Amino acid sequence: MAYQVDMRDVKFQLFEWLPTEKLLQTERFSQWAKGDLEMVLEEAYKLAAEVLAPTNKEGDRVGARFVDGKVVMPPSFREAYQKLCEGGWISCINSPEFGGMGLPEVVGTAINEFFFGANISLALTALLSRGAGYLIEKFGSDEMRKLFVEKMYSGQWGGTMCLTEPQAGSDVGASKTRAVKQENGRYLISGEKIFITSGDQDLTENIIHLVLARTPGAPAGTAGLSLFVVPKIRVNADGSLGQPNDVQTAGIEHKLGIHGSPTCSLVFGPNNACEGFLLGEELQGMKLMFHMMNPARIEVGLQGEALASAALQEAWQYAKVRLQGRHWTRLKDHDAPQVPIIEHPDVRRMLFTSYAYVQAMRALLMQTSYYIDMTRVTEGEEQERYQSYVEVLTPICKAWASDWGFRVTEWCLQVFGGYGYTQEYPAEQYLRDAKIASIYEGTNGIQALDLVARKLPAKNGKPIRELLGQAEATFKKLRNDPQFMEPAWMLGAALKQIEDISKGLTKRPDAVMVVLLNSVPFLDMIGDVLGAHFLLEQAALAREKLWALCQEAGVERKDEGAYKQFLADNADAAFYHNKVHAAIHFAYRVLPNVTARAVAIRAGEMGPMEAVL
Amino acid sequence: MRIAVLVTYVPDTASTIKVGPSGKAIDEAGIKWIISPYDEFAVEEAIKLKESKGAEVTYITYGPERDQQVLRECFARGGDKGVHVVGTGAAFGDAFAIAQILTAAVKKAGPFDLIFAGVKGVGSDQGLVGAMVAELLDIPHVASVTKIEYGEAGITAWREIEGGQEVVEVSLPCVITAQKGLNEPRYPSLKGIMAAKKMPVESVKVADLGLDEAALGGATCRWVSLALPPAKSAGKIIHGEQDPQAAARELARLLREEAKVI
Repeated sequence: MAYQVDMRDVKFQLFEWLPTEKLLQTERFSQWAKGDLEMVLEEAYKLAAEVLAPTNKEGDRVGARFVDGKVVMPPSFREAYQKLCEGGWISCINSPEFGGMGLPEVVGTAINEFFFGANISLALTALLSRGAGYLIEKFGSDEMRKLFVEKMYSGQWGGTMCLTEPQAGSDVGASKTRAVKQENGRYLISGEKIFITSGDQDLTENIIHLVLARTPGAPAGTAGLSLFVVPKIRVNADGSLGQPNDVQTAGIEHKLGIHGSPTCSLVFGPNNACEGFLLGEELQGMKLMFHMMNPARIEVGLQGEALASAALQEAWQYAKVRLQGRHWTRLKDHDAPQVPIIEHPDVRRMLFTSYAYVQAMRALLMQTSYYIDMTRVTEGEEQERYQSYVEVLTPICKAWASDWGFRVTEWCLQVFGGYGYTQEYPAEQYLRDAKIASIYEGTNGIQALDLVARKLPAKNGKPIRELLGQAEATFKKLRNDPQFMEPAWMLGAALKQIEDISKGLTKRPDAVMVVLLNSVPFLDMIGDVLGAHFLLEQAALAREKLWALCQEAGVERKDEGAYKQFLADNADAAFYHNKVHAAIHFAYRVLPNVTARAVAIRAGEMGPMEAVL
Repeated sequence: MRIAVLVTYVPDTASTIKVGPSGKAIDEAGIKWIISPYDEFAVEEAIKLKESKGAEVTYITYGPERDQQVLRECFARGGDKGVHVVGTGAAFGDAFAIAQILTAAVKKAGPFDLIFAGVKGVGSDQGLVGAMVAELLDIPHVASVTKIEYGEAGITAWREIEGGQEVVEVSLPCVITAQKGLNEPRYPSLKGIMAAKKMPVESVKVADLGLDEAALGGATCRWVSLALPPAKSAGKIIHGEQDPQAAARELARLLREEAKVI
């Protein structure tokens, strides 16, 4: 089995559901036509499946190793990384001024799904190069941009983001790393950072660290942090490499998953000779870092979705060929032949729930990416509106897609039965690799706090009201539709629960505790509602197209035999048919959980706070 | 040096093939089209030669309107010009007719020092067109080539033969048909994809080449019917947990009496 993706759904979401083609009419994206984008998608997928995916297992089994103070990457990663660089894929969405390809974000999201799904460990190195490069492009001096950005976008140099310290994880304000300004305007950096993804690796000739550090006399907490560009090897004025910059790798973590991605402990300035350049102004570090963290959070949500999607395809293929048990219509017939397990209702349930979740996650991520594109092609109030949507959706993308992405990998492992638990099949690697997404880049608990404390109240709640208003429009559009009536009303009821809780919660005397206790389930409720809304909206569109196909082929939908045969013969029709059922399935199986969680929140259940823990 | 590469658009090998209603052609609905995998070796060889020695690379294809895309896909890897001979379908699947049309196109766009093609098109898998074009042009050809060395006056080509390799020295101009192993086809870069649409493609009709497509098609080869191979029957499992010796005896018996392989 090899890496596969549901390209039909990717293209549906990009070109049939989202108005991506409209983006191409704007000046910013005018150099791309729809045909080009389709070719880009096909080639990216080919690269993912043929080059990245075959190195994924070695990445897991051999892993990144720490040898003589240096990180050695899995050997097969070198060539695959090289091909990623050569094709210009690393910075496919970045600015052409510095060698990026200027693709719309929404297309980049599709491409990165393939890369993360095929080999998340390798794709992480690329994520950090472009992310750190972007921050330097946005806030660096002209000289810094000239020295660093193009080489980072091309993948020739790597990048990192160095926030965490042993005492400063989720509480990043507790960082102690110091930066002292020198006469030449540069800073001497000293301190230790941990959990640094790609903190050292041998795929690139240099690594540009972005380090949060405290200047002398800076206030406590995050307000006292500044951001520094710290090359692993010093860079001469002409861009050539100079002396090592006194950054030492102390070791790498031994982790549950992403073994091919080195998670490093770095010591800056063990010999008091680590030089850094201030990015932006002093004390602006956290604010600047968020410009890298926010896109990275969406990409981490994408990792959850991508691994879920890859795991689903593997499980689906396996279920078609694995023979076990008799067909459910012949359970008592001992002479009946064994059937592929995909015939078993319970296996179909696991696969189809996974299918619906993957499509809902993909929709959330693509919709958010589309809004990012819209912030780049609009101005004034319109731009602010799209920006406010992105801000609200970012923690939901990160947390909802990483949590459910992980759960999908678990259901898909279950499809394999005992074999899924062995290393013979990739299901267990997907599950292990996916787990990190709910933890790094701000744990999902932090995401939920960001959502309820910062994002929902922003602009007096207007952005979230407008986003949920779109879900309400879907409810209103479909509430009288014979096929979608019940799912639509379930959506309406779930929306009402969110509204009631939002209004009622803050009025309680114990509001702070109730909010802190329930922020994660509340984020989940919003994610579920948005997921159901996206799927129903897509289903209504898919059904129109399905009916048109039937009409074109002269197939009477009421004639069950003819309709089934049509679905068997026409892949497009089968796709649209599945889309309709995925939305209904998701509504029935997921939306009642919104109400269930609302019951607990409204009741003010306080067990975790009352208990002696 | 001027190089021509003959390319063709074929159904993706991962596509599910169904026989169309005529019974003589495949059902094209839902088919994803790709550059014929052997043509990819031909394309790569031409681009490598352009990069190492300097050459102008022209891609030539014959097929329906949609096949212009195959030229774009080639351009995404490199190359300079494209010629699309737009066909009506009359000669599709007829190797000799295709060879005559391509030969006319080669003559019109030529002269060329070297002509590359895939050893066969994945589709009808006849492996005839490259050699036929060489014969029609009255130049030498080497088929199924897995390695080439380029010399001053000509080239040395290694070709696969049954149980071994044959090394052939050939003068230019000539036709080379590429076999797997000749090189490692590159992946298109994003820059290449972006540049591809701006590359010049000359679109010509078969009649513009002085040929009658309808008369050519089926003159020497007609497709009578197409059928899918019979479905593989289920394998037989001999359970040996209880009595392995009996199971081995049964296996030997079946291999001798049913499969008749021992």
